[in-house]
Amino acid sequence: MRRRPLCAMFLAATVFACTQPLAHAQARGQTQAQPAPAPPAPRLANGHPDLSGVWMGGGGVSARNLKPGDQILLTPEAKKIMDARLSKDDPEANCLPTGVPRMNPYPWRMVQSSTDKPESHIFILFEGNIHSYRQIFMDGRPHPPDPDPTWYGHSIGRWEGSTLVVDTVGFNDKFWFDFDGHPHTTQLHTVERFTRTDLNTLSWDITITDPGSYQKPFTVQTKARLEPTWELMEYICQENNTNVPHIQGPAKVQ
Amino acid sequence: MKLRLCVLTITAMLCTVVQSFAHHSFAAEYDAQKVMTIKGTVTKFEWTNPHVRFYVDVKDDKGNVTNWDLELMSLNTLTRAGWDRHTLNVGDVVTVTFYMAKDGSKRGNARGNVELANGKKVFSAGDARGTGAER
Repeated sequence: MRRRPLCAMFLAATVFACTQPLAHAQARGQTQAQPAPAPPAPRLANGHPDLSGVWMGGGGVSARNLKPGDQILLTPEAKKIMDARLSKDDPEANCLPTGVPRMNPYPWRMVQSSTDKPESHIFILFEGNIHSYRQIFMDGRPHPPDPDPTWYGHSIGRWEGSTLVVDTVGFNDKFWFDFDGHPHTTQLHTVERFTRTDLNTLSWDITITDPGSYQKPFTVQTKARLEPTWELMEYICQENNTNVPHIQGPAKVQ
Repeated sequence: MKLRLCVLTITAMLCTVVQSFAHHSFAAEYDAQKVMTIKGTVTKFEWTNPHVRFYVDVKDDKGNVTNWDLELMSLNTLTRAGWDRHTLNVGDVVTVTFYMAKDGSKRGNARGNVELANGKKVFSAGDARGTGAER
């Protein structure tokens, strides 16, 4: 009889301790309750919203951040590919890029010019998982007619009011959307909508169109949170990645 | 039985937290049902990415020594949580609870369960502010 209250207390304490990081993570990626309204989003000298800063979270494809009513419906070919995938082959576990829009548990920095001229480029610098970057052309150029397939594709951006719209094509088919191995083909086309809704919050909606892998387009709705005191750190995934030979089983959450 | 159930529940929850911090699938490498506690001496400490690792010599009753290769979170995550490359040193005597590797190798995932000889707990997962789950 004595053990029961002890166990209950231990359990309660552990539940509290264990759920703190999870609750924190969920707050970053999904919804969050602000104790007081955050200051409004700042603007650049050229009048465009200032999206620059170190951000945490956002991105990713999962059922929990699907736009209400949307579904992730694989084509039969894509299902075959996904069913055959093994965890050890996940590009992320092998220190290869996560592509778009998969993210990892590390911060990232949006870089905009802060002059009174229109932006020529916007860059996204990733701390993880391989210390890489995305380049978004803001000068009005179109996509090339036949781009070489790449991990981050060819991105062109434009402003729609206070929203940065980034249109990307030219992806390779090598990266996975998640640990489960959701696939895509080189037909992948993403449209991302970044809106800094207040000083601390960046709304990031991503519409995925890939008739080679998905029966219809779907949209994920995510949020990133500003980390005003953080700087990006060096993160060299290849330095000591000893995990791969020990990773077992199919690419499913087991 | 009740105590065992309690421990199992806690283990499962710890596992859920741990999985959030991995750059690879936790469940594909470690067995959430196989938890082991050892006491031994640190022989190597690798303050590196994608994971900080440390190695511990454990002597059994017959004097045989086994060296365990134990994984922590990333250098970046641990730095933001306030730990650094001096937190652990070769020669430190530690008590570690970890999830064992599924492939039977002498490896484990020890995040947040490392105690120094003076009782100080280091690399606590609960301190890892700002390391959201992979998206």
